[in-house]
Amino acid sequence: MFANKNTAPSSWQVRIKRFIVAAIVIVLGLCATPNLYQNKTLISISPLNNQQVLPSNDLVKGLLEQNQFNVKQISSADNTLVELTQQTDSASAQQMLSEALREQASIKVIEQKTAPLWLQKMGLSPIKLGLDLNGGVLFVLEVDTDKALEKRMENLALEAQSIRVKNKLHGVRIEQSTASGLQLAATSHAQAGLEQLQKELIKLFPQLMVKTQQQGSLTLSTLSYNEAGLAEFNKQTMTQALTTLRSRIEELGITEAVTQRQGQNYIRIELPGVQDPAAAKRIIGATAQLSFHALQEVGGKRVAAEHGTVNLNPLAIFSGADIDNAQAGRDEYGKPLVQLSLSPQGGKKMLHFSRDNVGEPMATLYSEYIADSQGEIHESSQVISVARIQQVLGQRFSITNLDSWQKAQDLALLLRAGSLDAPLKIVTERTIGPTLGAQNISSGFKALALGLSLTLAFMLFWYRKLGVIASIALFANLICLLGLMSLLPGVVLTLPGIAGLVLTIGMAVDTNVIIFERIKEERKQGSSMMAALQRGYKQAQSSIIDANLTTMITAIVLMSIGYGPIKGFAITLALGILTSMFSGVVVSAQLSQWFYRLPSIKPASKQLISTAANKNQGVQHG
Amino acid sequence: MANGWKKVRTTGLVISIIAVLFSCFLIAQRGLQLGQDFTGGYVTEFVIVQDLDKSALQAQINPHLNGEFKLSNQGALQWQLFQPPQDNIEQPLAWQSQLPDELGLQILDSRYVGAQVGAELIEQGGLALFVSLILVASYLIIRFEWRLAVASSVALLHDVILTLACFSVTGMEFDLTVLAALLAIIGYSLNDSIIIGDKVRELIRTHADQPVANTINQALASTLGRTLITSSTTLTTIGAIWLLGGASLHGFASALFIGIVFGTWSSIFVSATLPQWLGLSYQNYQQKLSDEALKQLAEP
Repeated sequence: MFANKNTAPSSWQVRIKRFIVAAIVIVLGLCATPNLYQNKTLISISPLNNQQVLPSNDLVKGLLEQNQFNVKQISSADNTLVELTQQTDSASAQQMLSEALREQASIKVIEQKTAPLWLQKMGLSPIKLGLDLNGGVLFVLEVDTDKALEKRMENLALEAQSIRVKNKLHGVRIEQSTASGLQLAATSHAQAGLEQLQKELIKLFPQLMVKTQQQGSLTLSTLSYNEAGLAEFNKQTMTQALTTLRSRIEELGITEAVTQRQGQNYIRIELPGVQDPAAAKRIIGATAQLSFHALQEVGGKRVAAEHGTVNLNPLAIFSGADIDNAQAGRDEYGKPLVQLSLSPQGGKKMLHFSRDNVGEPMATLYSEYIADSQGEIHESSQVISVARIQQVLGQRFSITNLDSWQKAQDLALLLRAGSLDAPLKIVTERTIGPTLGAQNISSGFKALALGLSLTLAFMLFWYRKLGVIASIALFANLICLLGLMSLLPGVVLTLPGIAGLVLTIGMAVDTNVIIFERIKEERKQGSSMMAALQRGYKQAQSSIIDANLTTMITAIVLMSIGYGPIKGFAITLALGILTSMFSGVVVSAQLSQWFYRLPSIKPASKQLISTAANKNQGVQHG
Repeated sequence: MANGWKKVRTTGLVISIIAVLFSCFLIAQRGLQLGQDFTGGYVTEFVIVQDLDKSALQAQINPHLNGEFKLSNQGALQWQLFQPPQDNIEQPLAWQSQLPDELGLQILDSRYVGAQVGAELIEQGGLALFVSLILVASYLIIRFEWRLAVASSVALLHDVILTLACFSVTGMEFDLTVLAALLAIIGYSLNDSIIIGDKVRELIRTHADQPVANTINQALASTLGRTLITSSTTLTTIGAIWLLGGASLHGFASALFIGIVFGTWSSIFVSATLPQWLGLSYQNYQQKLSDEALKQLAEP
């Protein structure tokens, strides 16, 4: 009676535990199933706007076949979807089509899921493949935040100059502007003016700090960013660069791209499927900016123009940030132009300026950062047009006088995508051909198959019945690992990642070996199989946790330095440690209990449980 | 017999110490053949249709490529060309399109790394190696008796240094995947040390009267089987990676393989033998025993 009372909850607990373990494996197994259905790469053709009709399927097919792309399937509904026989060609086909159909349709490469609908409805998707398995282009860009700061300080100096002129602050001088700060000087009579200037500047840039010192009769004050302000400025610059780059890539029609920050001031861009880095490079690395300036008779900024140089008012009427939309087009003579529409704010600025300056000239300044032969980055500016303001201008107008259609298109794209204050420099570039990707996948999985079968064979040969348990646990481990990798966002499978998967197999059976050897030892000392199992699992646990924890520590350290392929390895290793601890300790404990209980008839098993219960009692009394 | 084993272990430890010193000398002398990840530069992997030997292909490429380059075979018809970072050459990759058509050049992988990024990676990689050694060592010190912890940490350093020396001697390329392998070795090769250390602890507690050397022998004897099995299953899977994983994983697999072999050696001859030199004895566990006395008694 007494024993029975204790048996009931304990067998109930055992069942619950078994149920939870099975549930975890099944759920993760379900998450892993979408990997059986790899995504399809399709080309999607959609009309540019509502008025345009889609190009007919025959036309698209004809175009593709003219250029040696074999069409497997083409279907048309709201937009046309094309599947190529060689899916890896999709990116180059997209480029060809967007060139050919640029007036009527926008062409994108999309990924389509092929998993059954019920799986898709659950929001499950296969593991993302890294560039080394998929093929594609990688860029790592360095964002030159120092240059951006320098420019900000130059702007600050210009603002200070214009405030000084506007308010007629005599006796205040703008000494110099460097990246470290802007220096102002004032004579003893002009203290009030200096303070007014400082106040106005801080209103414009609230994070500036003022340091004042006396030098003879002069008061010197330096406006600069403190550490927090500088960090904030760098963060803003990086965020701006990221958003701008993301929208540029979107404009290029690449939907599966990964754009992320890497370390302090790098940005990593992965463009799967893209094979020609030149086009992407021209757009991604570009730092072109447009601004509009009034002309000045004397002083100001001297800039090269088509004929000689012109003097510009250094303060822009408005800049790229005020541009809402831009489209490339042609004027009545067929010369390329860009049509701009401004934000309401920018429109207002334009309206005020043009109303006051009808009949006056206005210059369009095109500037970009260019690296010289030493790799130093300089800003290069050029006036692309000087036009007389014929009438009051509002939110819409165009920039004419562009050299080529290509330039007009790129400029429109860059203006749409937003401005970049900091120059970018490509520090890493990689193009992985689709053949290499396929080769990597096949060699990775061949290694996985060999490693797995050798390990299984050894375990079955060496441990016989326990080996069966280890084998099942190993499969459970692989399923859980694949499930976790599919489930967690940001996990990417790379070639070193597959190597990590293979390594995980080798390490996962270690857990089993440690436990099984312990069980053997217990058996040698004369314990019953059941007791040996219990003690074996219990005793080995702490060693197993210690051993895996140290590997976990190094995996996490590795995650913090590696990017791309190496990060894939670190993540697979870390997740593999978790799942192999789960499958090695928890799953195989459940399996062994089940395996070694099955042959005994019910009463015997009850007896076992009741002895276990009695032991518990013993503990309480002791 | 017990004394014989003790002698074997001591000899092994002495060999290890000499090997470490010699390795340090070798690494300092010869340095490491750093890969493009760390030096920066251009790497192009490509296949051609003609079966040429290295010098013939080099002769084909030479007229189209300014500056120095290094060509290496990666398998049937598959080659890798490395160009160090060069500032003075306008278009370093122009040769890719200028080679004669009958070579049938197809680019598989073309990558560029700036010299500065590589230099930063060396710094970060060294730091990662250092940080993981420190973290793992401090975990061990919290978890184990200090003599065992110090011995295991020394064993780790031993594994890393010997593996590096192998790379230095053979001239195999040390790239980011090899660094990843080194970190994995730091994590993994402790497994054996921990298992043996646990056993040593267990046996010292139960056989207080025995000399420590005998206890360590006993612990090694009873764990030798599992040490060999766990290492060889892992080595088997690494062998599979080496054999089938492709050229780009060769360095990675080699580093892991070498590291784990040294790790197994050092878990027996360094991390189990060194504590004895450091004066490990029954007394070190007496306090702990009183802590755990209740638990010990509680167990059936």
